Amino acid sequence: MPKAPFVGKAVTLRPFEIDDSKALRDYLNHPELMGRRHIPWGYPEFLPLTEPQVHGLLERWATEERTVVLAIDAQVQRQGWGLSGEASQASQLIGHAEFSWGWDPHAPSVSVVIDPSQQRKGYGSEALVLLLEHLFAFTPAHNVSCWIAEWNEAGLSFAAANGFQTAGRMRRVGMYEGRPFDLIITDLLRPEFQARMAERGAAEQAQE
Amino acid sequence: MPLEGQLVILREQRRDDLAFLTSLQNEPQTQAWSLALPPDFTDVMYEKRYEAREFSYDPDEARFVIVLKETGELVGQIQYTGLERRWSAALGIITASKFWGTGVALDAQEVLLRFLFCELGLRVVRLFSHSGIPRAARLAEKSGFQVSGRMRQSIIKYGGLHDNLVLDLLREEYFARHPELADTLPAL
Repeated sequence: MPKAPFVGKAVTLRPFEIDDSKALRDYLNHPELMGRRHIPWGYPEFLPLTEPQVHGLLERWATEERTVVLAIDAQVQRQGWGLSGEASQASQLIGHAEFSWGWDPHAPSVSVVIDPSQQRKGYGSEALVLLLEHLFAFTPAHNVSCWIAEWNEAGLSFAAANGFQTAGRMRRVGMYEGRPFDLIITDLLRPEFQARMAERGAAEQAQE
Repeated sequence: MPLEGQLVILREQRRDDLAFLTSLQNEPQTQAWSLALPPDFTDVMYEKRYEAREFSYDPDEARFVIVLKETGELVGQIQYTGLERRWSAALGIITASKFWGTGVALDAQEVLLRFLFCELGLRVVRLFSHSGIPRAARLAEKSGFQVSGRMRQSIIKYGGLHDNLVLDLLREEYFARHPELADTLPAL
């Protein structure tokens, strides 16, 4: 039986629904995400988003051509309350993952955004692998790029840890904390991803 | 007054230019992205595109016809797109192959760069090309552009894979090459 698409061990990728707007707004407005939310051109990069803006964003994601934006859900530990105080697991929206191919599906770009309170738990890497598995299995993608602001050290480490190589930069794309900054371009080729997955599969088999 | 260089002037498109622009687009060698589009454009398509342009005080692109000063011949087209006010734009140029190697493309490029940096006050101008047409990157480099990004094997052309090139030219780099022009904008 084929593996269910977009379902991993810790995260699931699914379409956004209108009901997600509050949770989406909560993490998009987290101060640590300002400037690296990967939202469409025209939305303020460094300001909190209003409720109507988030509704507009969901509408735009749902209708934008040649772009797919998926919600990332994870089983998150929730603090218990009441007399027992027992902790429980619940599915929670923790971020979004996007791929976009502009005019050429041979060379799409990807991005993954995780709620800062849920980072460093492996969710982002798992979501990225699910996205890449889909791109390489169901589209003619060959070069997948990921564009990251040079000040976003966590994003750059994330891309490198997932096999993306530095392809250069687009210089002076905007201002950040009083100075111009560049976008770092990273990319990953189909055979490189396939080799990583084969290595990972062999390592997992050896452990079993 | 048109934008003027040593060899060419850049002026607005006119109805009489449309047949030339269609033929330029239909000559595969001259397309900026060479063979990215089928060479089947018709005069009617170009006419509709021409008619569709509306007056605006806030345009984010401009298209100019390149005209040879000496003879009035049409040389090609040069444009900027994706204007971010006081910040950036992307430049593109197409010239008819009979003018390759004559210096007119470089002259047109310099005229437009002067407009973008001196009149629009941009901080950076970008240009996108690919490794399958080294002539295009060489032309850009003659005006000071540098290849700052190279996405491997991301372009399919001529039956093979080529690298997508991101080129850019910063404001201070442009003015350093043009001591005859004074930049009075404060550095960022």
